Amino acid sequence: MSLVVVGLNHHTSPVALRERLAFPAETIPAALLRIRKRLKGAGAVILSTCNRVEVYVHHSAAAEELYSEVRAFLSEWHGTPEAEFRGALYEYEGKETVGHLFRVASSLDSLVVGEVQILGQVHDAYLITQAEQAADKVIHALFQKAFAVAKAVRNQSAIGRGKVSVSSVAIDLAVSIFSDLSRKTVLVIGSGEMGELALKSLVSHGVGAVLVMNRSLEKAKARLHTVVEQAPSLVNNGEALALDQLASHLPRADIIVSSTAAPGFILHLADFRSALKQRGQEPMFVIDIAVPRDVDPEVGELDNVYLYNMDSLEQVVNENLRMRRKEIEHCMAIVERGRDQFARWMHGLVAEPTLTSMAAELGAIGERELEKTLAALPDLTDEQRREVTHLTERIVKRILQHPTAEIKREIDHHDPSTVLHLVKRLFGLKESM
Amino acid sequence: MIAAMDIAFYTATALYVMAAVMATRYLWGADNRALLFANRMLAIGAGCLVVTFALRWGIWRRVPLTTVADSLNLLVLQVTVIMLFIVRKDSLRALLCFHVPPLAAICLINATLAHGKLHTPPRELRGFPLTAHVSLAFLAYALFLLASMTSMAYIFQAQRLKRCRTTGLFQRLPSLEQLDHTLCGLVRYGYMFFVITLVLGTVWAWVDQDLLATRWWLSPKVLLSVVMVFFYGLAFHGRQSGRLRGPKLAYLIFLGFFSLLIIYLVLALMGLNSYNFWGTAA
Repeated sequence: MSLVVVGLNHHTSPVALRERLAFPAETIPAALLRIRKRLKGAGAVILSTCNRVEVYVHHSAAAEELYSEVRAFLSEWHGTPEAEFRGALYEYEGKETVGHLFRVASSLDSLVVGEVQILGQVHDAYLITQAEQAADKVIHALFQKAFAVAKAVRNQSAIGRGKVSVSSVAIDLAVSIFSDLSRKTVLVIGSGEMGELALKSLVSHGVGAVLVMNRSLEKAKARLHTVVEQAPSLVNNGEALALDQLASHLPRADIIVSSTAAPGFILHLADFRSALKQRGQEPMFVIDIAVPRDVDPEVGELDNVYLYNMDSLEQVVNENLRMRRKEIEHCMAIVERGRDQFARWMHGLVAEPTLTSMAAELGAIGERELEKTLAALPDLTDEQRREVTHLTERIVKRILQHPTAEIKREIDHHDPSTVLHLVKRLFGLKESM
Repeated sequence: MIAAMDIAFYTATALYVMAAVMATRYLWGADNRALLFANRMLAIGAGCLVVTFALRWGIWRRVPLTTVADSLNLLVLQVTVIMLFIVRKDSLRALLCFHVPPLAAICLINATLAHGKLHTPPRELRGFPLTAHVSLAFLAYALFLLASMTSMAYIFQAQRLKRCRTTGLFQRLPSLEQLDHTLCGLVRYGYMFFVITLVLGTVWAWVDQDLLATRWWLSPKVLLSVVMVFFYGLAFHGRQSGRLRGPKLAYLIFLGFFSLLIIYLVLALMGLNSYNFWGTAA
């Protein structure tokens, strides 16, 4: 039996090629059917995302044969000659396949290492396979283990911590200062594109109230209208304001996003000093994403004011990326542990037919002897006959217990065929099993 | 009984040290399991301290609150119970990194320096006001100790935010708002219990005048307690009125606690921590 993966990803191919070989979700059931037609009784999963297209197959054929079948399937399904994508493909077998899937599910092979979407995508691919009944025992176990390993990687490392886009970093920082955004008020000044993005993120994270401020009150109202459309709960907690009201409304704001096109500072140290006093020194989180800057950098020196501009947000993004890269080694150790455990389990599967037939053989001997004994003791009551039957079953089970465990242990360390051959000879089992 | 008490006491020390190792491991490894393990070790360790306390009470038939070993055991036990109550929320669990190592250090000091005291009978505390006075005093100290360690976490978070260093432990610690809320709660209850302690102590001193010096209120220990009440009163009311908040409050609580602790230790080493500093008992 071989377990293989054939695929291409952002490391091996350009986006144009990945687009040509991608499987839209609605076509995957039919594609799985096609693979299983080519490879009778195969377990198969198709994982298709914007960064990768991979086909996992478990089948009785040799790995080389499976590679060639999957390549031919890809070529036929997409109407693309094999020569056009062959160079971009990677093909793994057995333990390497297992390790690869575990790396993918744990987001160690992603474009942005540590991102969370990939695990959901792997899960969706598995669900489609399950729905189409295209998974066999090994594929089921492989994907279940992949989810467990991915969970372990996330829980036991910092790979998923720290966001890597400017707007999500802004949210992370806001949550690091205020745990519950639903009781916080955001003041958005100006109409810059980045400000818009940050506001959208904050609104989608459920901020309690929004103050939209612009040089023109009409523009502010229009923008507030867009915000309320996105989050209807803000209909009574949104306010449009003109920029000249800034000083009087500043103390109301917990989070300030400023992105005006003003040539100089519009918020000064004195404004924040006064605002803090009115707020009882409650913290303020200020995101100044205007260029040139809107907020006097000295404001950042004040206690309880956390000021970030584009440079400092970029600095946080870069630090998060660096930290994620540092975690990879630790995560790889977790993946390798999981891979080795799974490989051992797969190894054990080789012994299953022999162990089953050994159990059947001993069971049959037990039954034959039981029949003889019961025939020789006709005076036994029903209860006594049941007891004797149970006794025989228990003896057979106890006899099997130790050899079964030992055989599994032995094939972990020695050549399985030699071990199984010896077992077959010892118990008089047929060689073909 | 004494052997059982020893076993419970040293097991508790070992468990606190293990919890501290696990909490420190979490600092570097971000492994949630290490923190959960530390949490469990603390719960079992606290259980062992309760057993120690109960056995000592059972052996001597006196509430064990007066020897150094008893005092430290009670302090550690109270800190642990409050701490476990605080970190029952997942988001606050990382605070254990700041709370557990000092606690384990206290346990180790207690195990090495004060263990002999476990085998001597505790002094008898006459009457309810005195017993309540001593117990509540330790409860207040426990809250102040936790407040000072929480303030360290606040300062750490605030500094990291200012310097844009938001990786590592920063991501695992609670938000500033949660830390501020926890800090305020600890100071509020600590202040409240300490005021009650002083009131009960005054009642006891009034009732049992024959035991104390004529001018017991001028003893350094009492004066230090009054300073503490003023200090925590300032912190509490400053925070409530909005004049004192954020890093300033955290620094004040952190430095204030350790200054008071050092003064207390100096007084203890100089033998000035009795109530009979001015004159003798009547």
